[in-house]
Amino acid sequence: MSAYLNTRVSLYSGRLLQPENFTALIKTPDEEMAEALAGHGLPQLAAGFDDLDHRSLEQRIISAVLDETKILIRPLTGADRSFLIYWAERFEVSNVKTLLRGKMTGDRPAALLNRLTPMGTFGRLDVQDLAHAEDVHELLRRLEAGPYAGIVRQARRAFEESQDPFILDAALDRGYYEGLVHRAQPLENAAGASFRRLMGPLIDRINLVWLLRYRFNYNLPPAQVYYLLVASRYSLSSSRLRELAALGSPAAIQDALPEPLRTQLQDTHTIPDMFASMERDATDKCEKVLHSGAPAISRAFAYLLLRERDLRSVRAVLRGRHLHLPTADIHLAMYQPYDGQAA
Amino acid sequence: MFRAEPLVKIRLLTLESEVADAALELARFGIYSPAQYAPAALTESPAEAYRDAWLDAESRVSKLVEHCGKLPEFTLPEGAAAPTLADLDELNSWLKGVWNACLAAHEGESRIQEEVLHLDALEETLGKLDRLNVDLSHLLRPDGLLSVNIGSMPAASVRRVGEALSMTGSLVSTFDSSGDQVYAVIAGPRERQEEVRGLLSTAGWRELPVPQELRTHPQAARAWLAEERKRVEERNGAECAAMDILRGQYRSGLEEARLRVALGRPLAEAAVSGVRGHGALASLSGWIPRRLQGELKDVMEARFHGRYWLDVEEPTTQEALKVPSLVEYPAWLMPFVPLVKSYGVPRYGEFDPTLPFAFTYLLLFGAMFGDIGHGAVILVLAAALFKRLGKAAWIGIAAGAVSMLFGLLYGSLFGYEDILAPVWLSPLHHPNKMLILAVSFGVGFIILTLLVNTRNRLVAGHTLEALFDSTGLAGLLFYLGAVGGVASMAGAADIATPSWIVAILGICIVAGFKWVETRAGFGERILVTSIETLETGINLFANTLSFMRVAAFSLNHVALALAIFTLANGMGTAGHWVTIALGNVVIIVLEGGIVAIQALRLMYYEGFSRFFSGDGTEFVPLKLAGVK
Repeated sequence: MSAYLNTRVSLYSGRLLQPENFTALIKTPDEEMAEALAGHGLPQLAAGFDDLDHRSLEQRIISAVLDETKILIRPLTGADRSFLIYWAERFEVSNVKTLLRGKMTGDRPAALLNRLTPMGTFGRLDVQDLAHAEDVHELLRRLEAGPYAGIVRQARRAFEESQDPFILDAALDRGYYEGLVHRAQPLENAAGASFRRLMGPLIDRINLVWLLRYRFNYNLPPAQVYYLLVASRYSLSSSRLRELAALGSPAAIQDALPEPLRTQLQDTHTIPDMFASMERDATDKCEKVLHSGAPAISRAFAYLLLRERDLRSVRAVLRGRHLHLPTADIHLAMYQPYDGQAA
Repeated sequence: MFRAEPLVKIRLLTLESEVADAALELARFGIYSPAQYAPAALTESPAEAYRDAWLDAESRVSKLVEHCGKLPEFTLPEGAAAPTLADLDELNSWLKGVWNACLAAHEGESRIQEEVLHLDALEETLGKLDRLNVDLSHLLRPDGLLSVNIGSMPAASVRRVGEALSMTGSLVSTFDSSGDQVYAVIAGPRERQEEVRGLLSTAGWRELPVPQELRTHPQAARAWLAEERKRVEERNGAECAAMDILRGQYRSGLEEARLRVALGRPLAEAAVSGVRGHGALASLSGWIPRRLQGELKDVMEARFHGRYWLDVEEPTTQEALKVPSLVEYPAWLMPFVPLVKSYGVPRYGEFDPTLPFAFTYLLLFGAMFGDIGHGAVILVLAAALFKRLGKAAWIGIAAGAVSMLFGLLYGSLFGYEDILAPVWLSPLHHPNKMLILAVSFGVGFIILTLLVNTRNRLVAGHTLEALFDSTGLAGLLFYLGAVGGVASMAGAADIATPSWIVAILGICIVAGFKWVETRAGFGERILVTSIETLETGINLFANTLSFMRVAAFSLNHVALALAIFTLANGMGTAGHWVTIALGNVVIIVLEGGIVAIQALRLMYYEGFSRFFSGDGTEFVPLKLAGVK
């Protein structure tokens, strides 16, 4: 089966966009845009690419990711399959957050349902039922009886204690990524360094961005910040994160980072810059894994990470075109920060 | 039974204020399938808000029914009107109030349960603290330098919380667990208490309030706990009584609400397919059987007395794919319908293959698995599992019966070929005859599918395809000619020359049609035409040979039985009969399963794929669901 997956990933990797492809997409005339997008394996975006509805564009991008994930998991079983399915489920965790926010603001069920991402075969929630919960407490109780009980249970207790929507969101995100790290463990043992090379930058990036944001934007105390980070065994290990959280300024944190992260981030001064720099590094690692003889599951995951980065850039191109932004601004937007929160 | 009932497209224009009643009447009519065919001028969607309100009401009624226990079945009163949007809004606010009251009562019950658990935990805590010999009044003294928290948190968080607490100079010590919760004491410097509280609120920490009464002599604490238990039990009784009162108080209202929700369902359901309107006008559109158009007009007239406009239209050829297929099947044929529908729904106007499918499937199964004993076992098993399998059991019963019939014809009983004389022939002794019969059956089957496809193409208005394509008359001409030619070569007939002339004529027509149909450059056209023409011949040849499996499986059945007898004969008496019994089980389960799948495969791939597009739309009538 790994031969099938390897072949499938190799075929898919031909769809990944290079920098010159993005430049060409920005300049492509409207009448040729659909064909150009279809040529990059994005038929979901080709039809109605000029649709100005932001939500619809977002949903179609996620639909493209889910379609490809569905094909990639076909030959997989066991921990490999479970990991990629869980990776796709972060969009559903995002739906959970949308439902919770909607209930807090008293949105009508129809409006709420309209904002959710269709999960297709990956969907495990009865969103119709959940959207009709009377309030956020009832919704949390129902979620706790569903497939995301593990993630929701702790978030509910934290929310009931604090009544703070931020804590709810942060607890859900943390719960999700803790689950991801947990599911990655057997794959790191089986697939070796290649899988760790993908997971490490992903979790380190999320932890560092969250740490800086929680500590200095939201002014949370160090102990609480540390608790809200993902337990990690990568470059930014849990003990290192504890030390970093206790420091008093972003510059001090930057100085205390382990090598090679410290050198890599020495010229960055803002959280978005740090994020972009770390993402570039992660992209390089993904490309190396994708074009290496690494196990099929590592290559498949590397492809999905790269594909998502591409699709975020395509989204920036399409939005930039709608807004008639200059090419330079669109290029800038393509490196917009990704905050690492689920979906 | 062989084709879908002729339908007509209707557009029912009514006053917007009466559209819910109109939908209700159409649902009562029982055979209307909604579809979007509103006049272009009607651009608004007047039923959307109605559907939203209805979904809210329906969800609340379901939740309440779940809480209050099952309500009796009900019948919609004759002539009852559908609720308006304002009615639904009013109903929703009432339901919300009831739900909140029920929820409060329900949560009251839950809180009491929690209190009972809490008292249990306190008692246990008291026992543990007794053993620890800790003076609680001293430990929890508010004026000390040390701040102490006693409480519970998820077991999964303990390690992380401990690490985070170490950053505040605090310590955590667990002393008990219950389910996924761990009870712990946290102690740290009082000046960092706020920081600790922030962390604990994020970690799902629940403070275990240690009442003043517990901070005393253990015996006094136990007396206090006993007193508390008594108080909680009394409150529990009061809450149960309150819940019963609520149930009684709201029961009739809830039954009324359920009735209104049922009456509002048709418009809410129709809104999905699209109800359009403009100003005070609304339109419901969809499909009904042509034969019932007069009856529908009478129903509408009786209900609306001229305050409506019913527009009826025949579907055009271009709409064929959108028109739903409504086929009435006799009850005995119903079990086979899901097997056909698992391949697809026939297009409107297409030949419905359910009847020939049922007969041919059973025939093929019986021919491949002919055995009186095995057939009887399948029949009895299917009959025994009737309650569990439902209608599908009839397929098993019929397959078993046909298997028994063929067993009689083959003279086979549980694999024994020498107990009964075959009424017709034994496959093992006449393999060539079986092969010829199987292939002949295949020829007949393929001719039938080509004829059906020709008819389907003609009905769909694709006359050229019907006449000249490889699955139309030209393909049939080629096939008949080729069959005649091959039969003559085999010595079964003497019509070689005219047959080959007919075959060549047929294939030339097919090639000519492919040439005309292909829109490409000269070279590509030659390539496509030659490959597709060649494919026509190869496919028909391969499909015909595919039926040889019918003979092969009938032989296989006997061969498998012989293998089991050989094994059994090498054993003692007990081993012999055990092997025979187990062997027959293997034959029934394994071979029976394979044959059932092979028969289905022959039907789907050699039959349906030739004439049945399967991409039709099912006729889904608007119904009054949930009503007796």
